[in-house]
Amino acid sequence: MRIFKPETPSQAVTMLAEAGPQARLSAGSSAFQAEWSLGKPRPTALIDISGLDGLSGIVATDSAVTIGANVTLSEIIASPEVAEGCPLLAEAARRVGATTIRHRATLGGNIGWRIGCLLPALLVLGAELEVLTEDGTQTVPLADWLVPPSAPALLTGVVIPCQNAETRTGFRKIGLRAAFTPSVIAVAGSLSLKDGIVEAARLAVGGGPVPAARLAEAEQRLTGQRYDAVDWSAVRVAIEAEIAAPDDTFRSARYRKRAGANALVGVLSGNLPGEIRGGRTLRPKPAPPIDEFHLSRAEGGNRWHIRSDLPAKIAAELPYLTDARRDDMLVGAVLRLDEPHARILSIDTSAAEALAGVKAVVTHRDIKGENSFGIVFPDQPALCSDKVRYAGDPVAGVAAVDRETALKALALIKVDYEVLPVVSDPLAALDWDAERVHENGNLASTIELDRGDIDAGFASAAHVVEEVYVMPRQMHGFMETEGGYAEPAPDGGLAVFAGGQYGVRDRQQLARILAMPEDKIRVVTSPTGGGFGGKDELTVQPALALLALKANAPVRMQWTRAESVLAGTKRNPMKIRMRTACDADGMLLAQEVDILADSGAYASLSPGVLETAHEHACGPYISPNVKTLGRLAYTNNGTCGAFRGFGANQMTYAIECQMDRLAAFCGLDPIEIRRRNLREPGMPGFLGQKVAPTERLTEMLDAAASSPLWQETPQARSQIRSDEIIGAGMALNYQGNGLGTIPHDEAIGRLVLGRDGRIEAHFGLDEMGQGLIPSIHAAVADKLGCAREDICAVIGDTAATPDSGSTTASRGGYVVWKGTELTAPPFSAKLLAKAADLLGRDAADLKVIPGGIADAATNSQVPLITFAALADGLKPGESIVEEAEFAFPKSDYTKGNARFIFAYGATLARVAVDRATGEVRVLDLELHTAAGPVIDLAAYLGQMEGGMVQGLGFTLTEDVLIKDGRFLTTNYDNYFMPTVRDAPERMATFALEDLDPGDPFGPRGAGEIGISSVTPAIANAVADAIGRWPAVTPFRPEDILDFCEAAE
Amino acid sequence: MSTILATDVIPLRFRLNGEDVETTVTAETSLTRVLRDTLFKTETKIGCEAGRCGACMVLMNGRPANSCLVMAWQAEDAEIVTGAGLDALPVTEIVREALAEESAFQCGYCAPGFVISLVGLLSENPQATREDVLTALEGNICRCTGYHSILRGAMLAAARVAERASETQ
Repeated sequence: MRIFKPETPSQAVTMLAEAGPQARLSAGSSAFQAEWSLGKPRPTALIDISGLDGLSGIVATDSAVTIGANVTLSEIIASPEVAEGCPLLAEAARRVGATTIRHRATLGGNIGWRIGCLLPALLVLGAELEVLTEDGTQTVPLADWLVPPSAPALLTGVVIPCQNAETRTGFRKIGLRAAFTPSVIAVAGSLSLKDGIVEAARLAVGGGPVPAARLAEAEQRLTGQRYDAVDWSAVRVAIEAEIAAPDDTFRSARYRKRAGANALVGVLSGNLPGEIRGGRTLRPKPAPPIDEFHLSRAEGGNRWHIRSDLPAKIAAELPYLTDARRDDMLVGAVLRLDEPHARILSIDTSAAEALAGVKAVVTHRDIKGENSFGIVFPDQPALCSDKVRYAGDPVAGVAAVDRETALKALALIKVDYEVLPVVSDPLAALDWDAERVHENGNLASTIELDRGDIDAGFASAAHVVEEVYVMPRQMHGFMETEGGYAEPAPDGGLAVFAGGQYGVRDRQQLARILAMPEDKIRVVTSPTGGGFGGKDELTVQPALALLALKANAPVRMQWTRAESVLAGTKRNPMKIRMRTACDADGMLLAQEVDILADSGAYASLSPGVLETAHEHACGPYISPNVKTLGRLAYTNNGTCGAFRGFGANQMTYAIECQMDRLAAFCGLDPIEIRRRNLREPGMPGFLGQKVAPTERLTEMLDAAASSPLWQETPQARSQIRSDEIIGAGMALNYQGNGLGTIPHDEAIGRLVLGRDGRIEAHFGLDEMGQGLIPSIHAAVADKLGCAREDICAVIGDTAATPDSGSTTASRGGYVVWKGTELTAPPFSAKLLAKAADLLGRDAADLKVIPGGIADAATNSQVPLITFAALADGLKPGESIVEEAEFAFPKSDYTKGNARFIFAYGATLARVAVDRATGEVRVLDLELHTAAGPVIDLAAYLGQMEGGMVQGLGFTLTEDVLIKDGRFLTTNYDNYFMPTVRDAPERMATFALEDLDPGDPFGPRGAGEIGISSVTPAIANAVADAIGRWPAVTPFRPEDILDFCEAAE
Repeated sequence: MSTILATDVIPLRFRLNGEDVETTVTAETSLTRVLRDTLFKTETKIGCEAGRCGACMVLMNGRPANSCLVMAWQAEDAEIVTGAGLDALPVTEIVREALAEESAFQCGYCAPGFVISLVGLLSENPQATREDVLTALEGNICRCTGYHSILRGAMLAAARVAERASETQ
């Protein structure tokens, strides 16, 4: 790519003519990088017009506003001239990109690419363009420009006639989320009125894939009509017929046309014809209040602490493992074939090895141990030898002096392969004659249960509901992609620093691959920039380790986002067919569940996800007759694994919608039908296992029954548009903690008086943001009686921390609490004994206070001896250490995986359903939780709020799209996680903290309870508004529009 | 008329956190990569390299910018401030403290970008409303928090900045 910097506009045109068709003009250059990150070729030449005279400035006259092509969208939004003369343009500009994009993106760019969201507004405004060609400057109507001119042309300015005060105008952009979204369709319209008659109508559509165009026939239909007497239904039909719009990955042509027509009629008429009345769900009777704690800084008082790791993060001072930089570090990169399924015939790395600056190239031939890993069963190669089974499967790695060299070397590796049939449909994958992803066939695991008499249950039912719930391949979307560095140790060993969730297991898996003793490998896994289950399995570690050993030098590697999308694990897409029966009183009679889950190419933790989904197949309800089947299929669709909720949230979506549907049939409110079927405390669990005390389902239902969200408030009313319908809904859930009965689930915790006088709490767990560090500080300080500042959490390093098990499955909180319960009392005794020794006092007269040891008989806050002095008083070789090993509590069920400890929750949602576009906006989320005592208030609240919004994304916008094994989703410009504007207007989180008398199990895990009932709460709220339950997630606005049509 | 060849090593000079920096880049290098990989200024994070997440934000001539969207040659003579170079700006301390008090972040990887957006906003507009804050943060993705803790911290900061602005008037 060559960069040209012309000095005048006419030079730019000359350069454009000379540089050929591959040249591009660059002004704000806000869109190039997104193209290039998708692998689109760079232009041969970039002509930088950003500094040219004559392309800037906004000039207004009485009749027109002239805007230079290089004027940014931010300047347009801030311009008084635009606000006065053509406010429609500013309105449209506000909906383009995000603030920083609008700072760079220019009006010329938005028009020049011919796909901008501003085009319909400009067409309606009657904009004319000033265009410079080699023949000089011409003024051309925008519509003419939209047909690409053959001659090189530079857009220099835009002339926009002023809007008339009598003119009624409107603009609306429909996107894929609330803000910072590409256009599904953008519409604009203006009606010039005189004496109540439409004198002229201008209507236009455009945006993204929709060709920008006026709607001449619809305009003609409106012209001359009395505005008050317009038949908007007929206009809507005419507009829909006239819009030309294509299908794309996200939305159908049919949807674009319908939603576009609705939106245009909405903005011109102020109100879409027709009406839908919400409030269809029977409102529950309020229950007596429960003793919940509303979590906030204000309510928290002295329980609210500033996280000790936060100031450094906010000041951008915390180095993550992907931030390590040293002059001697090589840069690693991995070769992927981007083929979903292929047989490798040969790999030739000689050209790559010969490239100057390349220090190591590794393939499967460099693997001394077993070329396989995987948490449940090791079916995943570190570097592929015989086949690639998904588009992101790694084939080779390179370490070079810099990134550019490493990427060049990858391109020089020659892989011969033969393409194999792609297995993309999980159901078809299970056919006996399907192409095999693995030699043993495509059924990765299966699970079933048959209890009672399912046929008799259905035969005696008063009501049966059946639905297939479809769920997405959600991406973890942690902000820090997979990465880190590895360096060889002088003793022949290796240290690997890479974000993870269980360093000891990463070390085991690496030792197996490298054929190296575990004690030669050090694995550091914290701090990690987000995990959510997606860094539980090995990611960069195998290639990093192989490269560092072969190059005998430190190597760093961080996947790009595009690589992370392609190669990282995802949430298992599931289809759950659920058939549920009850009698006339709403008592459940039968439950039939068929789960089909997509594992992608490898197993990782997917079998566990299937088991956990299955464990929640009846929800917390009693059904006498149950029949289930769960199947996990290997496909070539990327690869899947653990993700927050771990199957429970998927199953909860299905069962909690079924309960509301049955309630509607029975004339019961959502709380009442659940009460009637709720398991009682102390009953065996779904698999017949013993369940821990402190069951709080009734209390969660009480809290949900009394929620203010059931009533439509003036505040909620004031926040919706006239074409939105408000709905409220609830869902109940419970989430098992720990790994279940079968996996090894033990932990060690340790307290040490450090040489610097800090009390070190050693846990082999990981801080991924969830609040492990504050939880450790809180638990240990509370138990010892010292201050949080006295504690130093030592975590996530196999060289320094004990094996505490994985930081997954909502188990970390329990491990910290239990480890502290066991170690703190004897550790305290040792501290006091040492202090007594140094002070010449009796240990029984001393106690731990913040900062050190004090006289137990006084309330003095000044220590007699500080922890630092205590540490100084240690003799050589003497130490104060206390360690405890313990098992995570398990149930007595051994035939399969069953959970013993549960946390309980209820989510309520208030939504606004847009009957023009089928979009769902979440106005409120309210979460009630019962997970035992809250260790750290802010961390707990953060887990809940973050879980809710991640659940909202699952429900409304997120899905990694794959077709025939090829990824259609490639980066964050086509994967839509919630932005700040997608988050609910209000969120409220409550905690019920008490434990049953004698309950020895302490705080429950808080990591997953926040996400698990969000989807059904939103779905039930949609049904309250429009009478139908969306069964496909993320909800398809097209389905919602169909439901709305049926409801009218 | 000046022309730059991609194969050329392009000299680049700009001010980084108040200091002059000279380095060389290619035509295709992004400012993010220069900061992280050439200058080792890894306080500027890397998220998507497509301008869609805000993790790499810096102040460029006083305004928040996605450094991944800036081709390094475009930063010639620019004033670049990273998340670790904000100390000199008067609103920085208020923003940082308010965010910490409300426990705004979790993993923290997005934090430098959010802080840049907020410092940029409140430096330019000391009377920022909730709507202004929402607009300023549209381009910053956070995957951990669900945004409300960040909004609480941002609104606390906005109130304090507004209060201070009225005191000094």
